[in-house]
Amino acid sequence: MKILAVTACPSGVAHTYMSAEAIKVACKKAGIDCKVETQGSIGIEDEIGPDDLKGADAVILTTDMPIKNVERFEGLPKVKVRAGVAIKQADALIAKVSAALKDRA
Amino acid sequence: MSSNASVFKDMRQHLMNGVSHMIPVVVTGGILFAFATMLSMSTVTTEGAVTASNPVIDLFKQVGGIGLGLMVPVLAAFIANSIADRPGIAPGIICGQLAVNVGSGFIGGIIAGVLAGIVAEQIKRIKLPQSMQSLMPILIIPILTTLIVGAITLYVIGGPCAWLLSTLTTWLTSMSGTGAILIGAITGAMIGFDLGGPVNKVAYSTGVAIVGTEVAAGANCAFFGPIALAICLPPIALGIESYLLRGKFSDEERDAGIGAIIMGACGITEGAISYTTADPGRLIPINVIACAAAGGIAGALGVYCNAAWGGLVVLPVTSALTYLIALAVGIAIHAGLVFLLKKDYVKPETVDASDEDVDFEIEF
Repeated sequence: MKILAVTACPSGVAHTYMSAEAIKVACKKAGIDCKVETQGSIGIEDEIGPDDLKGADAVILTTDMPIKNVERFEGLPKVKVRAGVAIKQADALIAKVSAALKDRA
Repeated sequence: MSSNASVFKDMRQHLMNGVSHMIPVVVTGGILFAFATMLSMSTVTTEGAVTASNPVIDLFKQVGGIGLGLMVPVLAAFIANSIADRPGIAPGIICGQLAVNVGSGFIGGIIAGVLAGIVAEQIKRIKLPQSMQSLMPILIIPILTTLIVGAITLYVIGGPCAWLLSTLTTWLTSMSGTGAILIGAITGAMIGFDLGGPVNKVAYSTGVAIVGTEVAAGANCAFFGPIALAICLPPIALGIESYLLRGKFSDEERDAGIGAIIMGACGITEGAISYTTADPGRLIPINVIACAAAGGIAGALGVYCNAAWGGLVVLPVTSALTYLIALAVGIAIHAGLVFLLKKDYVKPETVDASDEDVDFEIEF
């Protein structure tokens, strides 16, 4: 399984990166491939390109701020979650998302 | 991009997009302007009538002044940008400046930004013949939107907003004694409550707006003093406690201690989140009480901060001594409460993560 994520937050210095880290760690623990793009105040880093989209099963988007360039995820299941929830409950979030994806498959 | 109903549903996101782009502008302008105030030695009274007596001060004053002046236009532009994409920027920035000019300040700016976004979004839906489509984004939408929202800003919302702002300003400038203590305690508590979340941002944005509008006169900068120190209190306090009260923190929390102290010093309250999420039942009340106490003390001592940012990095532009006293007392209260209330750390048993309730939506 492969999960993508894009994180952003109003000040763009803390929640963005903490939620990115939490999602990466949780995916690694669960043995899921993942790539996380951050849209912080420094700009976009680790941008998700066309290559990354190949084979992706879902994309997690944080809802604290409008996420830029969401059109590229057209057709992918979108998981919308507050950055704070992603930080606090990353393991549970990943578990629920992968369960939901498996149910559907 | 979005329908009308969803504009209001996503209003928080739109406002946050504005605030998010405004912060670097305000911080840059505020800190530079504050340096000008400090260098011209008029911060002693905080009645910062900056006299440009030499080229260096003049540089700080001019550059910083432009930064502060652009605060509301940038806010309005990026609210509109979030609602209507790029065609929102021109009407947003122009009507934001107009809102400032008619004296309706940040409240008028927010309304102008929202209106600019909504109107631009509506005009986008007008269908033109293919040959004229390219005129829409750069000519028709911005010009029509600016005219419409400009008229509303000037003749409808200008007056009431200016009245509201001047009332608010008068009330805040007149506060002293118990009023200042109360305001300091409330704003402090709000900053400490969710550590960078929505409640924190309300207090911060209000503070920024007041620093921005009144920094030239300096009188209201006292409003930002309690906010500035409440911003850095939780992370610094928790960082210090992770070393002093070893038994109450996990090894990972101690490893993050220095980081939390540095984040606090830089004015990033979020440094306290990792600790607080581990024990929210105790730490949220403790953060709130300590921040409220420090804020109240700051109000009593008349602590001010001339930059729209918190932490120790702004120390040169605050009433340094009383600022540190209020902060130290706050940290002491925080540490005392953690010592009394927080339970010793025990390694948690691994729980099955899939049993937790998680608040998220999934769209296929």
